[in-house]
Amino acid sequence: MAQSKELYEAILNGDAKKAHAVTQAAIEAGTEPMTLISESMVPAMDEVGRLFEEEEYFVPELLLAGRAMKSAMELLRPLMVASGQKLSARVVIGTVKGDLHDIGKNIVASMLEGSGFEVIDLGADVSAEAFVAAVEERKPQFVCMSALLTVTMPAMKTTIEALTNAGLRTRVKVLVGGAPVTSRYAKEIGADGYSENASGAVGLVRNLLAEA
Amino acid sequence: MYAMTGRERILAVLAGHKADHIPCMPITMTFAADILGVKYLQYVRDHRVMADAQVKTAAMFGFDYVSTISDPTREAADLGAHIQWYEDRPPAILEDEALFADKSVLAGVEAPDTIAGGRMEDRVRGIELLRERAGKGLFVEGWVEGPCAEGADLRGINRLMMDFSDDPAFVHDLFDFTLQVAIRFAAAQIQAGADIIGVGDAAASLVGPRIYKEFVWPWEKRLVDSIHANGGRVRLHICGNTRRILDGMGTLGCDMMDIDYPVPMDQARTQTGPQQTLAANIDPVRELRDGSPETIAQSLEALQQQAGARWIVAAGCEVVRDTPHENVRAMVEFAQTHAAIAMA
Repeated sequence: MAQSKELYEAILNGDAKKAHAVTQAAIEAGTEPMTLISESMVPAMDEVGRLFEEEEYFVPELLLAGRAMKSAMELLRPLMVASGQKLSARVVIGTVKGDLHDIGKNIVASMLEGSGFEVIDLGADVSAEAFVAAVEERKPQFVCMSALLTVTMPAMKTTIEALTNAGLRTRVKVLVGGAPVTSRYAKEIGADGYSENASGAVGLVRNLLAEA
Repeated sequence: MYAMTGRERILAVLAGHKADHIPCMPITMTFAADILGVKYLQYVRDHRVMADAQVKTAAMFGFDYVSTISDPTREAADLGAHIQWYEDRPPAILEDEALFADKSVLAGVEAPDTIAGGRMEDRVRGIELLRERAGKGLFVEGWVEGPCAEGADLRGINRLMMDFSDDPAFVHDLFDFTLQVAIRFAAAQIQAGADIIGVGDAAASLVGPRIYKEFVWPWEKRLVDSIHANGGRVRLHICGNTRRILDGMGTLGCDMMDIDYPVPMDQARTQTGPQQTLAANIDPVRELRDGSPETIAQSLEALQQQAGARWIVAAGCEVVRDTPHENVRAMVEFAQTHAAIAMA
């Protein structure tokens, strides 16, 4: 499909204007949103992730691709809501309390959204209470937490405890990441998964969904 | 060989001469504040507290130097950027309120005076105090934000990452500005007695070789040359995975270069050549904090083989708080009981 390839290329090349224009044209031509997502967007973001792992793409290319993907999604999302279509999973993501670092979290959020998941990004410096409130209101399947400082990592444990105390822990899978975070720490605090990079996070969400 | 002071030892290694043993220059910030028993807010706001903590920590463990590295917000604070302060962790910049979130603001801002009663002056006073207290025994290190890192601090890192493509001319102007800030700040610290200036340019590890070559290296080079012209030395510190920009980093002419833990040390040596003094790169969390004295010594043995003759012991990045003291001692003990490998 010519339009799928054009959207794929626009995302891969970080061309937000083109991604928007091609998506608009595809919608007018009657292409289903889920078709565009599954045939163009997801493969493009998978390729972006692969290029990042191979150290061919770096943070600027990732953010530009993410922006191009979002410019397409802003046209597709209202159509999906109107037709009652849902994405395969909902993810709440944020950098934990006291930590303002967000670039890694932004990349993971982009990769997850580009992989066809609904992403609710709570931003940075997110308290345990805010994570709990988001889980109560938005009912995600996944909660992803990021921290870049060893001094803010304990907020991950605090958030998991808060989810438990609110009776919500078993409703979500909790995934953690960030430079000082280790798989050992993830196990210690009772997280369901850990990833050391954005592509790994996408793979983890897909695997856990498949197991569910 | 006679027992050298820490300062003599570092100077010898940086000059490519023999030293009595390998120097040890780990970066300590919150770790040093904890040793003194003060909250980090006191450490970053008052150079006297910082100096006390650095001197006590260096003496306790046997480091060869003291440093005025503290946090990335000194320059930004003096420019009027909005800073988030915490009681017991480094201050941070609020990206949503970044000084140059609106690009047009840049044209109307001048590089601030370093000695103007602000946070930059506090570091300069810290260097004077450390020079006085450390005497001739310890190497004294100043610190500046590199041009790319400061650009990210003032523009917001998410915006800057896209500016490279969206508005390259603005990035050149932004880095011209941040370079001026860094040159002035470094000059003041050299005048105050700093033996070396750490240049922290963490954002540079995120951009890849193409953007590094076009947008970062030229400005880093001008900063390095300026520091040298003012009689100073340079410790380049780019946190993160710098594997793809090592070759560029190696041509800056830095007196020493830290290698963070994601980079294999043998690659760092191959890419930068045998003459470049390299430091680190034991993993500060997984090895230095979570390891044992035995595993740390083994890692350092391997690192020395990979790094070769011109090498200084340090962690890949900051020694994190809660690192067991016995682990830090093990790292220092390795340096104190090992001579440099002979140059090939």
